[in-house]
Parts: sequence; C-alpha cells; structure tokens
Amino acid sequence: MMMSGGIDSPVSLYYMLRQGHDMIAVHMDNRPFTDDSPMEKISDHLHVLEERFGRKVPLYVLPHGPTQITLMRQTDRHVGCVLCRRFMWRAAERIAEREGATFLATGEALGQVASQTLSNMRTATASVKLPIVRPLIGLDKHEIETVARSIGTYVISTRPGVCCQAVPDRPATRSNLVQIGQQEERVDVEALLDDCVRRAIVM
Amino acid sequence: MTYHTLRVCANRGAFEAIPNGDTTLDLPAVRGRLEAHGIAVLDCRVMLIAQMEREVTIGRDGRILIKTRDLAEAERLLETVAPMVGEPP
Repeated sequence: MMMSGGIDSPVSLYYMLRQGHDMIAVHMDNRPFTDDSPMEKISDHLHVLEERFGRKVPLYVLPHGPTQITLMRQTDRHVGCVLCRRFMWRAAERIAEREGATFLATGEALGQVASQTLSNMRTATASVKLPIVRPLIGLDKHEIETVARSIGTYVISTRPGVCCQAVPDRPATRSNLVQIGQQEERVDVEALLDDCVRRAIVM
Repeated sequence: MTYHTLRVCANRGAFEAIPNGDTTLDLPAVRGRLEAHGIAVLDCRVMLIAQMEREVTIGRDGRILIKTRDLAEAERLLETVAPMVGEPP
C-alpha cells in the first residue's frame, strides 16, 4: 500500500486490512520537497490501524527526493507528476517483489487531482506489471473523509504540513506513453531505482 | 525583490511570500548570491532550495516558501533572503 500521509491512503489501507489482507506500507519520502510531517502522520496512521486490527503493518520508507531532483533538472515539468508516479510505482513493485507481495494498492480516487485522471493513471501504471488495487476508486472526497473520521485517521491526516513543492504550476491532465517514454530517455531509470531501493529503510 | 504578502501555505506547514508584480528570476544568479553569503543551495533548475535555519525554496516566479510554522521566524528569514534574491534581470 502506497502511503502518503494524506487522507485517502489510510482509508484504503483500512479497507484492505478489514478484508483480512496482510499489507506492507510503502512511503516515498519526498523531502526536501515536503517536510517531516508525512513521516510522522504515516507512523501515526499505522499505529491507529495496527491497534484496530491487532496486527503489524511493516513500513518501507524510500528516498524519493533524489529522483525528483533528477526529474526536475532533466525532464519536462509539465508531465512531472506522471513521471514521479511512474517511479513510485516501480519502486513499490520492487519492494513487493522482495516481499513476495502479489499486488500493489493505493488510495487513488478517480479525478481528484492531476495525477488521478484516467489518462494519467494509465500512463503511470504502465510502468509496472503487478495488478493494482484501488479500494477508493469510485468514492468521492466527502465519502472518503467520512470514513477517515470514523476510523480516527482524519485528524492525523489534516495536521499542518508542507504540500509537495515538486508539483508543476500546470500539471498535465493527459499523457501518453510515447511522450513519457521520450522524457524517461533523458534519465537513467534503472540507476535511479537501484539507488532508491538500496536506501530503503524498514520501520 | 519586494514582497507584498507573507501567508500561511495551503497545508499550514510553511509560509509563502508573494512578490510584487509578475517576475521571472535568473535562478543561477540568485544561487550565486546565496552561495556568496555562505548559504548552501540545492539547484533543481526550476527552483532553488536554500539551506538556512529552515529550508527556504525560491521559485522562478519569485515566490518564496519558508518551512516554518512560526510567523516571526518566517518574517526574519524573508528579510534575510529577499535582498539576496535581488531584482529580476
């Protein structure tokens, strides 16, 4: 389960745990483009859900800032969010492979932000092979927030924090694989991923 | 550079300074001025992240994000950094 510290991902994790799945949390640490708050929030989200379901959810923290810096320096900012997501998915898939996990999961809901249009979701997830589970895909923000409040994660998610500063002023809401492939040719994808996963911390 | 507003950012984790008027900064030049004052700078091409008492991000459009929740500290850091940002070319 990809965890951001926001409202959606702990709700998504809640649904997966409620169904009885053994889950592993993965957080892409976006510092210096955020602050320490996502880490603190995720730690508290997991504590709340672990208490509720009586089982441990291991947390992998992967450094994503260096990848973001490379993408900002070498690729078109317009598609920055899609490129960022593709790297996050790939890194999560590597962790899944290491752990023997059979799927990836996320708190994405359709159309909430630029990275969650169908076009961008398709382009982003074409970077991985494992199936992706999105328990919240058809829910609207109000519905997700209602669940978040009822399970005690909303108050954690809405603490002060710094928004991702790597988001471009006008992020693309549509993208295609040819365009994204051309952008990724400008960076060494495998080297960035190797470095990111090698520096993963398990908590 | 002069700023007309210092406001809390959307997620309340930092303060954002808004410059007077539309501008496009020469970021390499800004980086040079910051480094001349002994401030380490991470150059991300479209923004600079200055390692001051708190991280201070300077965008090409002149906006400055100061990662503190303390208004007095944000005002003090803005006062320090704004002259180094200088005037647009």
